[in-house]
Amino acid sequence: MPLSTQPPASGERYVLTASLDNARHLSSLLRAVHFQDHATCFATANGIKVTVEDAKCLQANAFIQAEIFQEFAVQEESVMFRINLAVLLDCLTIFGSSSLPGTSTALRMCYRGYGYPLMLFLEEGGVVTVCKINTQEPEELLDFDFCSTNVVNKIILQSEGLREAFAELDMTSEVLQITMSPNKPYFRLSTFGNAGSAHLDYPRDSDLMEAFHCNQTQTNRYKISLLKPSTKALALSCKVSIRTDTRGFLSLQYMIRNEDGQICFVEYYCCPDEDVTEADL
Amino acid sequence: MKCVIGGGHLRVFGRAIHAIARISDEFWFDPVEKGLALRSVNSSRSACAYIFFSSMFFQHYCWTAGSKSCQREKQLPLPCKLIIKSVLPVFRCVNMLERNVEKCNIYTNINDRHITFQLICKHGIVKTHNLTFQECDPLQAVFAKHMCPNVLKLQSRLLTDIMIHFPMSQEEVTLAVTPMKVCFKSYTEEDTDFSKAMHTEIQLNPDEFDYFQVGVDSEVTFCLKELRGLLAFSEATSTPVSIHFDRSGKPIAFSIEDMVLEASFILATLSDIENETASEQPPRFSQGQDSKSEKTSVDRDSNSEAIASRKPQWNGNSQNTELVAPRSPLAKQEIKIIPKISNKDTTGTEGTTITETDDYTMLEARPTHFDYHKSKLLHTGIGFCTWCITCVVSYLYKYCIFQFHSLFFGAVSFKEKDAINHILHSLATASDTEEDSVNMQRSQVL
Repeated sequence: MPLSTQPPASGERYVLTASLDNARHLSSLLRAVHFQDHATCFATANGIKVTVEDAKCLQANAFIQAEIFQEFAVQEESVMFRINLAVLLDCLTIFGSSSLPGTSTALRMCYRGYGYPLMLFLEEGGVVTVCKINTQEPEELLDFDFCSTNVVNKIILQSEGLREAFAELDMTSEVLQITMSPNKPYFRLSTFGNAGSAHLDYPRDSDLMEAFHCNQTQTNRYKISLLKPSTKALALSCKVSIRTDTRGFLSLQYMIRNEDGQICFVEYYCCPDEDVTEADL
Repeated sequence: MKCVIGGGHLRVFGRAIHAIARISDEFWFDPVEKGLALRSVNSSRSACAYIFFSSMFFQHYCWTAGSKSCQREKQLPLPCKLIIKSVLPVFRCVNMLERNVEKCNIYTNINDRHITFQLICKHGIVKTHNLTFQECDPLQAVFAKHMCPNVLKLQSRLLTDIMIHFPMSQEEVTLAVTPMKVCFKSYTEEDTDFSKAMHTEIQLNPDEFDYFQVGVDSEVTFCLKELRGLLAFSEATSTPVSIHFDRSGKPIAFSIEDMVLEASFILATLSDIENETASEQPPRFSQGQDSKSEKTSVDRDSNSEAIASRKPQWNGNSQNTELVAPRSPLAKQEIKIIPKISNKDTTGTEGTTITETDDYTMLEARPTHFDYHKSKLLHTGIGFCTWCITCVVSYLYKYCIFQFHSLFFGAVSFKEKDAINHILHSLATASDTEEDSVNMQRSQVL
């Protein structure tokens, strides 16, 4: 195995080492949050959290648990760095993103610490590529303070029910309005575009609905341009949990099952569209 | 108006919308007592589609506004003009529709000027699209199919198999008939580089047709784009296609008829320049449903609104057409030079010239692409001299009149008719000042 013979040994100390026999497990999750080029990685003994933010209104987190990796070691309590996600994805798919059956890219990832580049050793069919990606100063991340005790409404849907809806969203509409209610229309997605309005209603007893816990009627609007990137995560996922809290903040949690049957999560937080709510008051 | 389409028929309806989308950006949704008609005419008036679904096509069909308590005016169904772009997403993936959608309700709400498409899908999901519409009388083609000397009828499958041999880049095809044989061949413009062009020709025996009647030997050239749409639609209904046509320059009609629906697509054909001068015909206008619309004040108001909203466009046209200079002998000289310039070199100027020519030729029925090429090369060929340009414009105008005289359908309302008369009148009396304004405008563009 060429990876084991690679030089990250010889006394050098890495704060983070991880190896994975199929780099696609990592790249597909990263692609689900790739709507901005810069991501902040935060590693603990539990795994890596990759955070991407946009417009101070949207935050996406991809959680890659330690169990996904064949080897995962963090020497410090936590390791944090910022990285260009586009470059990282390009490197991870350097042998091609389409997978032929039976071929997979093995990955070993090492990081020596603050100021050092992230090193990737990628191997496929006996060919090894070494990538060094410069890391950047981590920026402060948004704290959405989305606490499960403040959750008002929660719905778990099978993703297929939402996929078509998101694919057909009227992009001439500035906002997507989400209504969740214990009464009719239960769960409604609405857009207001140039051509008119469109509503999509899901009854609570639909067989796509895995869980329906709505306590009060809530109608909030979210910028459609902010929600659209979550389609990437939706496409990979099998289930989605939609939650709103007392402030109208939206949390979308996507459950993603990879080829080996392991489960990962990608989470999106989004602020409601303020202007509209003020106008409504 | 309220109608319900069952899951099985939804594919047919979806295909109809897609076929109509090939014609134009807009279409009319025209409910009448016997059923629902969809109509469309393209902006250059060279193609027109009409698809009629009889009330039997629907699970439920009610053409009036509904309950008996309604006021009189509400009981009149209103033809509504919809933007096809907004309707297409409703029927985006036609094959998926059949699988996922159990039924589709379509109803109009006159009070808030909306037409609602409601799809009842699997898993209890309900999709509701409220689309705004504009009330206005539809354009109708004036074309007597039964007067055509040539009638061919064939299975849509066969016609599809013929058309599949023409590459997607092929814009026009020629249909040549004699009592002995039928031939579909690719149409190429005279100035095309033949070393690069591919020529396809498919010959058919009269036996291949379900019905074969050739009164006149003729060769007609028409656009393929619209026909492809009709073929996709007829495949969903698996009905034979009838082709009615006359000599070149007269429109050609492709139609299908079924127990529950009928459709006809009428396309302009190219005509030969040589034998056209004599047979020029004045445009004919049809008055959509005018008598009906005058019955109610609501209708009349909305009509005049619609007309008013369209009026600036016509004024714009008349302004542009007024700019056409009197025909001078110089223009003819120019014409002779022009065909030598290869239109391959001129594509760069497309952006500016197309919009202009579109205005000039909009009044005539003509195949779109054909003109563009010609006019493109006209403009670039003589860009150095503004005087020449005016001549060319006048040539272009004449050219259109003579070559595409097949004005088989016209305006909707009296007001528009007047507008056209006005344009034609002003063409004849273009003054010097207008010529000057042409020069100025042109030089800016060029």
